[in-house]
Amino acid sequence: MMDLKEVFFDPNHPTLLGSCARAATAEEARFRVQYPNSRTRSSRIFALDAGAAEAMYAITEDPWNGAHFLTLVDRGPVDPATTDARDLPLAHPDGTSADLTEETDGADVVVLLATSGDNEGAAEVIAREAFHRHIMCAGLALGSGKSDASVDRVVNSMRRFATVLVVARDNDYIPAMLTALRA
Amino acid sequence: MLRKEYNDLLTQTDPGTSMGDMFRQYWVPALLASELAENDCDPVRVKLLGERLIAFRDTEGRYGLMDEFCAHRGVSLWFGRNEEGGLRCPYHGWKYDHTGQCIEVPSESAESGFCQKVKLRSYPLIKVGDVLWTHMGSEENRPPEPAWEFANLPPEQTYTSKRWQECNWLQAMEGGIDSSHVSFLHSGSLKTDPLFKGAKGNQYNQNDKKPVFEVVESDGGLYIGARRMAEDDHYYWRITPWVMPSFTMVPPRGDHPVHGHFWIPIDDENCWAWSFDYHPTRALTDKERQAMIDGYGVHNQYVPGTFRPRQNKDNDYLMDREAQRRGETYSGIWGIAMQDASLQESMGPIVDRTKENLVSTDNGIIMARHRLRKACEALRDKGIQPPGLVPEHQQVRSAARVLPPDQPFKDAMKDDLTVRPGVKQTSV
Repeated sequence: MMDLKEVFFDPNHPTLLGSCARAATAEEARFRVQYPNSRTRSSRIFALDAGAAEAMYAITEDPWNGAHFLTLVDRGPVDPATTDARDLPLAHPDGTSADLTEETDGADVVVLLATSGDNEGAAEVIAREAFHRHIMCAGLALGSGKSDASVDRVVNSMRRFATVLVVARDNDYIPAMLTALRA
Repeated sequence: MLRKEYNDLLTQTDPGTSMGDMFRQYWVPALLASELAENDCDPVRVKLLGERLIAFRDTEGRYGLMDEFCAHRGVSLWFGRNEEGGLRCPYHGWKYDHTGQCIEVPSESAESGFCQKVKLRSYPLIKVGDVLWTHMGSEENRPPEPAWEFANLPPEQTYTSKRWQECNWLQAMEGGIDSSHVSFLHSGSLKTDPLFKGAKGNQYNQNDKKPVFEVVESDGGLYIGARRMAEDDHYYWRITPWVMPSFTMVPPRGDHPVHGHFWIPIDDENCWAWSFDYHPTRALTDKERQAMIDGYGVHNQYVPGTFRPRQNKDNDYLMDREAQRRGETYSGIWGIAMQDASLQESMGPIVDRTKENLVSTDNGIIMARHRLRKACEALRDKGIQPPGLVPEHQQVRSAARVLPPDQPFKDAMKDDLTVRPGVKQTSV
């Protein structure tokens, strides 16, 4: 058994309230420096299918900190081997087209939303672009009302690309997560 | 970042609060059984969920947990005499049984029946394993008794301790589901702690400091999977289960005992960190048990005669910068439990989550808060019982395993993450 008292403890070591761990009180907390300790993040949220877009559109009007919400335009399966980042068909919520390279330029985090496993190719194109730019890529599989097999398909479509993969049972998790990430 | 109103919702557990009401749905650990070791032993002061209570064990071995203060003049019954089937206030002799019912008021005629009109609020106190559990909610919603594996094994297979942690329960609990800190904060202890060292999995932890996470909802809470690179493009998975509201388990290492925690509010600025170790299929060895008593693994050393850690905020947790420089500890604090507690207490009694800057690898914490909030609101607004109450939700295990890259842990490790009596833990 390590005898901490003999090894470490110096009873003569001065411990003033403001300069030791005892300062972790509610009273001392009011002396914490008050300032914004981070700058606004650039978050890019991509809905990979119609279900994900519907869930995303429900929150795009909320007051976000500059988050960009983008949907994949359905033009059939995307072949990642032949699809350049600039060619990925993306749209802003107002329907105007968006360019993946411009959207990811300077972004801090990429979030992929999916309710089906249909767009693995598009996920790969986005994740590849994020990887090149050293941007953290998170995947959120929305499983509301879906069978386990169906959710597995969604998860599998994003597993290779996401540094963090979350399987959420309800769509309320989208705003909860984005708020937590200061999106 | 968490909005202030949600931070308040989740961190406040006094009577009448939403989170307090939610905690009161569960059986929660109240005392170690050893604190009330024999009939008519000394009563013990207990503070839980912002309520000051007194626990005692009467002449017939019945456990009582009730309002600490005598109904007569408000004297603390800790000064009481535990004798002849009840706890007697030493001031004027009022006596209470284990249900809080006053059974004697010496100044009044016994025939008057006056004492029948006096009853202290009390809660059931039951022994399951080496823990005394209480349910502080309404009797009609009392759930089945605790079914946690650690509490339902023979005593030679388990060891439980508790320590006072000087901060809100939520920031302590969040440490329990934050897998990514292990490769940093506990890196020294992985090499030296007798309850951790020597496992093959430790090498994966040390070699890959950027785990990939998968967070999956379970019926009772979450499974938080941390994936690190192993050999041949395989993945080393460590799965942390969290069961609402505050049960967590640490993924096992080698054949070491499995460990985990409960985080139970004392009040809004203090909590009990309950720590348990068990082996599902064998007795703990003398060496293992002694290591736990000595404060290794998830346990700690104490200020003698108390449940306060020997390393505490009054002595800067016995910070040892030289050990830090030598690489023996990452933070300079000895012991895994106090490495966590020192940092969590340094956040302040209730951390201001409006100022935090979470990143996507914090999704386990984000999801846990989300589920707690939803369950809290569902109970408050619709009377819906929260997850984690039924035995099926409590039959979980942590696990560690190396898997091929194409196998999702939730499927490949389904059996590993479920209690299987007589089957040892899945570990690397």
